[in-house]
Amino acid sequence: MGVLVFAEHDGAAVTEATRRAVSAASALGAPVDAVVAGGDEAEDVAASLAGTGVGRAWLCQGAPYADQLPEPLAERLVALVRAEGYEAVVAATSTQARDLLPRVAAGLDVQMLTDVTAIEDTETFVRPNYTGSVLARLRCREAVQVLTVRATNFAPPAADGTSPAVARLEPGTDPGLSRLLEVQRTDSSRPELASARVVVAGGRGVADVGVGELEALADRLGAAIGASRGAVEAGLLPNDAQVGLTAKVVAPDLYIAAGISGSIYHVSGMKDSGVIVAINKDPEAPIFDVADYGLVADLREALPQLLEALEPS
Amino acid sequence: MTTYRAPTRDLRFVIEELIGLERLAGLADLEAVTPELLEAVLAEAGRLADEVWAPLNVTGDQQGCSLTDGAVALPEGFADAYRAFVEGGWNGINAPPEHGGQGLPAVVASATQEMWHGANMALALAPMLSAGATTLLQRHGDASLRERFLGKLVSGEWTGTMDLSEPQAGSDLGQVACRAVPDGDAYRLHGEKIYITWGEHEAAENIIHLVLARTPDAPAGHRGISLFLVPKYLVEADGSLGARNDVHCTALEDKLGIHGSPTCTIAYGDREGAVGYLVGEAHRGLKYMFTMMNEARHKVGLQGVGVAERAYQQAVAFARERIQGRRPGGEAAVPILHHPDVRRMLMTMRAQTEAMRALALLAAAEMDVAEHSPDETARAAAQRRVDLLTPVVKAVATDQAVETASLGIQVHGGMGYVEELGVPQLLRDVRIAPIYEGTNGIQAQDFTLRKVLKDGGETLEGVLAEADGVVEALRADSALAGLGDGLAEALAALRGSTQRLLRDGADDALVPLTAATPYLAQAGLVLGGWLMGRAALVARQQGDAGSGDTAFYTAKLHTARFYMRHVLPRAHGYTPAIRGGSDELEAIDDEHW
Amino acid sequence: MKVLAAVKRVVDYNVRVRVRADGSGVDTANTRMAMNPFDETAIEEAVRLREAGTASEVVAVTVGDAGSEEVLRTALAFGADRALRVESDAPLEPLAVSKALAAVADREQPDLVLMGKQAIDDDSNQVGQMLACHLGWAQATFACAVTPADDELHVVREVDGGQRTVAVALPAVVTTELELNEPRYIKLPSIMKAKKQAIERLGLAEIAVDGSPRLELLGVSEPPPREAGEQVDSAAALVDRLKNEAQVI
Repeated sequence: MGVLVFAEHDGAAVTEATRRAVSAASALGAPVDAVVAGGDEAEDVAASLAGTGVGRAWLCQGAPYADQLPEPLAERLVALVRAEGYEAVVAATSTQARDLLPRVAAGLDVQMLTDVTAIEDTETFVRPNYTGSVLARLRCREAVQVLTVRATNFAPPAADGTSPAVARLEPGTDPGLSRLLEVQRTDSSRPELASARVVVAGGRGVADVGVGELEALADRLGAAIGASRGAVEAGLLPNDAQVGLTAKVVAPDLYIAAGISGSIYHVSGMKDSGVIVAINKDPEAPIFDVADYGLVADLREALPQLLEALEPS
Repeated sequence: MTTYRAPTRDLRFVIEELIGLERLAGLADLEAVTPELLEAVLAEAGRLADEVWAPLNVTGDQQGCSLTDGAVALPEGFADAYRAFVEGGWNGINAPPEHGGQGLPAVVASATQEMWHGANMALALAPMLSAGATTLLQRHGDASLRERFLGKLVSGEWTGTMDLSEPQAGSDLGQVACRAVPDGDAYRLHGEKIYITWGEHEAAENIIHLVLARTPDAPAGHRGISLFLVPKYLVEADGSLGARNDVHCTALEDKLGIHGSPTCTIAYGDREGAVGYLVGEAHRGLKYMFTMMNEARHKVGLQGVGVAERAYQQAVAFARERIQGRRPGGEAAVPILHHPDVRRMLMTMRAQTEAMRALALLAAAEMDVAEHSPDETARAAAQRRVDLLTPVVKAVATDQAVETASLGIQVHGGMGYVEELGVPQLLRDVRIAPIYEGTNGIQAQDFTLRKVLKDGGETLEGVLAEADGVVEALRADSALAGLGDGLAEALAALRGSTQRLLRDGADDALVPLTAATPYLAQAGLVLGGWLMGRAALVARQQGDAGSGDTAFYTAKLHTARFYMRHVLPRAHGYTPAIRGGSDELEAIDDEHW
Repeated sequence: MKVLAAVKRVVDYNVRVRVRADGSGVDTANTRMAMNPFDETAIEEAVRLREAGTASEVVAVTVGDAGSEEVLRTALAFGADRALRVESDAPLEPLAVSKALAAVADREQPDLVLMGKQAIDDDSNQVGQMLACHLGWAQATFACAVTPADDELHVVREVDGGQRTVAVALPAVVTTELELNEPRYIKLPSIMKAKKQAIERLGLAEIAVDGSPRLELLGVSEPPPREAGEQVDSAAALVDRLKNEAQVI
């Protein structure tokens, strides 16, 4: 009985996405437990689940688990699900969950669901196909439901004063199939435009304020820099930053268009972005038609103010 | 920015379903074409066209070419895109395997050529001109010339040019003055050629010019012209490149369009004389040139289809996105695609383009039969059809392409007249197509006098008899009967025009010359109607067969209907002009013009 | 080393698919089909391994209907040595596909299976990991660099917030990101050669795989259009919305 959430963490606490995965899991109508893989830090991580409603936190500690290698971890999770009779395994969509959960599902011989965006009832789910241009409704009556869920589509759990009971898992055998050699974190250098989670794009309007301000905003948000054709032609930004139908087509979670009027060509290259922000001094600029949030303002004022508002308080 | 996606599905529809792959079965020395092979070839050519060639189209227009110290700088990316095409083996697509080609039928090659032109007409001119030079060399060059030059022309490692025009010798090539003086085994050429497409560039290692010139003993006029092969770099016996020949680009034309294609003035023999080799026999140069004219003119027609397709795609994309105005009774503003007049324009563009694509590919299939059928009678019959259809494809497809590119601008409104989205380029580029390789006026004369009146209309009647069959089939289907009636009326109009010209032309040579252009336009519309009627029949069958491609065939059916109702009836409008004679044209004295 | 490269035929990435009027699925009629772009990266990598002398043979495999043999021809034109189709007229779910591929791996005994990280039609991102589980092999998903090293492979994986480099013992399953390489343009002579090559076929029954679906598709729909946006009056208000409402920063 119950739902098992795979709790991803940053070495100290579970991620915000995991907290939302817990709330998604609770929609399945059964008590929610969690499993934390790691080394010594796992206990702190488990403690960070306090208030989420998780009843029990399994600690899966030891060498292969600390490196988050999928082969031993999947094997251990399959054994845990079987031993405890869990009816569902849930994780927030992430590269780790997408790596791990299919292996767990195969071990359980069930067909899993990737990137669930809505849970309609305990067996009816919605997930995107075709890069989000189609939504599929699916009924899943597998013996164990295995899902990754898109965290931003689920609210964080309401704080409830609970604290999970902590239980240690016996380590399984390490199949020794893979070793972690190196972890590289992207920090200083900006991400690739095509795959960036956040894109800050500048148009001709950037000439008013200078490219430095745009770069500062991008760095602050860990964003890639994009450009309209106007900005490229004006020599403000490099050609390989150009976003548009026949240049780069991007769909980041957040797209900030600064000083971009919003030609059809440009919009076709970014309209599938999650959230679109437009900042332009012309209130009639077509970019506002596709923006979720619009700010009519001069970039000379708006960009410094934005940077200031983003400073951690 | 203009978008272009190679219309591979439409091309397959024409080749597989309108023409039929079975028509190519049994042709000697050609690779067998299965539907799967056709799809793979078109998909991969389309990928290169879409991803590598098409994005450079606007670059070519904006940057153009420049000449510095005799060297031509191409637009950014052009040389690499050309090399990618060569490395992909696309240049030799229908060349015989013994010369390193792939031995595919001309109809398949033509489908890829439409894509190259749609993706980037200026760049596609390089292989197009090479193909003409290659054909001439293949047919008329002696073994030693073929051995030395053909392989690299087929592969595309070298490009070729066609050097015909001189300042005083345009449509009348009898005026050619370029001189060729014997010098040992070779000749030395002196003279100047103009409008040499891709006459100088560095995208290929060598450039092989095929040049019309006169030998010292030559008679005046057409009969005194010989054809010479003049390489930019001399080629040693072992095939390696030798000295730079005395061939130089002295100027580039500043043109309305195709800015990415260097149109060169080429000077031969400014210094010691350019080394040239006689191709075939002396004094037969023009004759040789005409043996490849059909192919060259056919390729210009394909250019028209390619650019028209691009104009259509761009206009549809814009019409989908541009929100403006309301439908009758509607509250909200809608994409302009939903306005009847915009739909009418788009459908006109589409219907004309589909009709001309079908006609151009059909002519290519006839070329395959004419060259490769084991049956001599079939070869001869197919060749007569090629001769008949070539001026139609060349002139009607390019005239309609100009109209289509212009309609593309119209659909865009103001955004079509400004350069931002790359729309005007298409009109500027394709505007040359009715002019070069024989103006459309010359095509009309050729069609009317040589292709129709000369054989008493027999070859044309053979084609129209097939169209009668389409009329019958359409009338046999109650849902298509109206289309059959429309086609029948148009066929009657064309037959009437032909009879009239046969009758009146016998007495007065000016009658057919005056009527030629409207007569060719009428014939083009009717021949397009024949094939659109066939498309309607195929689409109906496929629809009944419950093919998975319902939407595709439904669109084909409606496009054919539109053609029959809105485009084909224009054919009747030409009748008075065809019958009107030339009195008023001749009545005014020259000084009153 | 012998490499098995798994490829799938999907709706071309340029095509915007439309939902059927009755919501029963996606209208794929009149759509351009092509090899899944991630799989192109996989076959390209496999062929490069052979060109570099690391791999001795590349076998391309797909699971699908007769039409999907087109992507096998494409794989052959890329440079695969052989091609094999597991026949299934109905589209299979990832679990069934992974079982079919496991059966093929049992027969072919490859040292490495390469495939795209996901197919761009159903976007499941499951088959490689499931296959590795069935075979009991190592897996390295989201590969953006693959380097052979003695008896193992060093694989740089694209993960959230950076990269993880792992060493996987062979045999292994590696799934590819587009960043791994730039697939070549296929040459016309390669297409002509590929069309003459034989394609082996295997029935699902022959390999004892049950292709019946586990999930029930209730319907598909297009996502609701973008709602009218909100005008905010200051940079501070904007940051507040992004943090607390949209939760994207």
